[in-house]
Amino acid sequence: MLEVKNLSVAYGRIQVIWDLSLSIGNNEAVGIFGPNGAGKTTLINAIVGLVKAKGGEITFDGRPILGQDTHTIARGGIVVVPQNRELFPFMTVRENLRLGAAYIPHAREKLEETLDYVYQLFPILKERDKQLAGTMSGGQQRMLVIGRALMSRPKLLILDEPSLGLQPSLVTELFDTLKEIKKNDMVILLAEQNARQGLKVIDRGYVMENGRIALEGSVEELSQDEHIKRAYLGV
Amino acid sequence: MGKKAMIIVCILVAASLPLYAGPYFLSVFNTIFVYMSLSLTWDMMLRTGQLSYGTAGLFGLGAYSSALLVAKAGVHPLLSIVLGGLFAGVVAFLLGFAVLRLRKIYFSITTLALTSVFAVVIRNLPRLTGGASGMVLPSALFSGDAAKNYWMVFALALGVIGISLWLSRSKTHYAINAIRNDEIAARSSGVDVFKYLLFMFVLTSSIQGVIGAFYAQQYAFVQPEATFSMNFLLLPLAMALVGGVYSTSGPVVGAVVLGVVSEYLKLIMPYGHLVVYGLIIVLVVLFMPRGLTRFVARQLARRGRVGGADRAALGN
Repeated sequence: MLEVKNLSVAYGRIQVIWDLSLSIGNNEAVGIFGPNGAGKTTLINAIVGLVKAKGGEITFDGRPILGQDTHTIARGGIVVVPQNRELFPFMTVRENLRLGAAYIPHAREKLEETLDYVYQLFPILKERDKQLAGTMSGGQQRMLVIGRALMSRPKLLILDEPSLGLQPSLVTELFDTLKEIKKNDMVILLAEQNARQGLKVIDRGYVMENGRIALEGSVEELSQDEHIKRAYLGV
Repeated sequence: MGKKAMIIVCILVAASLPLYAGPYFLSVFNTIFVYMSLSLTWDMMLRTGQLSYGTAGLFGLGAYSSALLVAKAGVHPLLSIVLGGLFAGVVAFLLGFAVLRLRKIYFSITTLALTSVFAVVIRNLPRLTGGASGMVLPSALFSGDAAKNYWMVFALALGVIGISLWLSRSKTHYAINAIRNDEIAARSSGVDVFKYLLFMFVLTSSIQGVIGAFYAQQYAFVQPEATFSMNFLLLPLAMALVGGVYSTSGPVVGAVVLGVVSEYLKLIMPYGHLVVYGLIIVLVVLFMPRGLTRFVARQLARRGRVGGADRAALGN
């Protein structure tokens, strides 16, 4: 479904991603693990067109998407949940959700239906649907951003560190919901530092270090890997 | 119900003003409607999150292009007003591709610089534009008929109010609101940010051009310092801030209040009225940061007469 080939990204003269290749198949959830500064966010931003790549190729369903605008990529079916809880703070919860679908033709047609689905996944959002998004707690805002991304009816949902800054109980809850989303045939790309939780959701994963793929493997392989155990699982 | 009636009464009173008011009042309100329209356009652009300082520039561009069309090509003054707006719109469209890549203070400062650039270019084309001394047109719009000019600017202002109201109910409103709230989130939700910014920039610039063109035709005069005066930026800005930004009612109320106050101050203290005027603006912005309209609405709501404070008041 998504194919990244020999991707290089640089901020000015500082290169952040080096000749990176990865692929995501249909009906797959893929994880990217790695420490701060490994380039996970940059990789994601390059896929959705928020930063320009220096070289390489990205294709989605066989079509090249590198160099397209973010909104075009979003309409094409790749929607990102950014790290910084990017939402519309001065709009209500419901408005935030509707906005996820309003500017994407195929999502707009099924707006009400998707809204019901999102409310069922995150009942708290329904309870607060008239509240201003900016006045909710961090965890609720994170749910709202994921809900808004689902409203766009993506084929590929990319999550950038969804656990960041959440209390442990919420993290568990969040990953349970992600599993639920995955069950509904959603293809997921998940960047996480919290490998222990991340491994519960994904089928396959990559480990990124210093802008390169250091390791690739199935969930079983990754959870058995000594390096991972030491670096990310704290075993 | 009460609100609707009040609005209709206001419109009727304003429309019938020439029937009982003298030329002095007509000219005061004429000016108020000019600034009200500019204030609304400035606010409409602000709703996208972009703080434009280019209001005077596009105003002046419309003024000069319409004056030139009348003086050099013999175009009918009314048609020249339309063409003046069109010209400002085309310029905004072309400049938009560069300017709208910028954000925040960089956008603001560039639009401000453009205003100076326009003025300098016009000043340095003396054969065409009359250079620093400007141009006097052979005759003023409607031969200077105060009532007709008043109705004209009143109609223009109503039109701009209409556009502003339409905008706040349109799909565009939703998109630009999203852009102002969080641009990355808007893009990730499939909003074509550049398209909407360009649309708003061209729309507001065209209106500014039309108002400038009307202004030039009404006084049959253009001159770089007067036509590109910072008043056409600062007063609309102050009016929107005093009335309350991100709304239609804010700039409208702000323009009427500041317009009337400034005239009154001029009468009671010919010297130093600007100091008091400035002080009033500062005090309102300090103590009613959401603007007069929302402040009053809130006070009324507290007394339980009108429900609900304006949610947009929380806008960043």
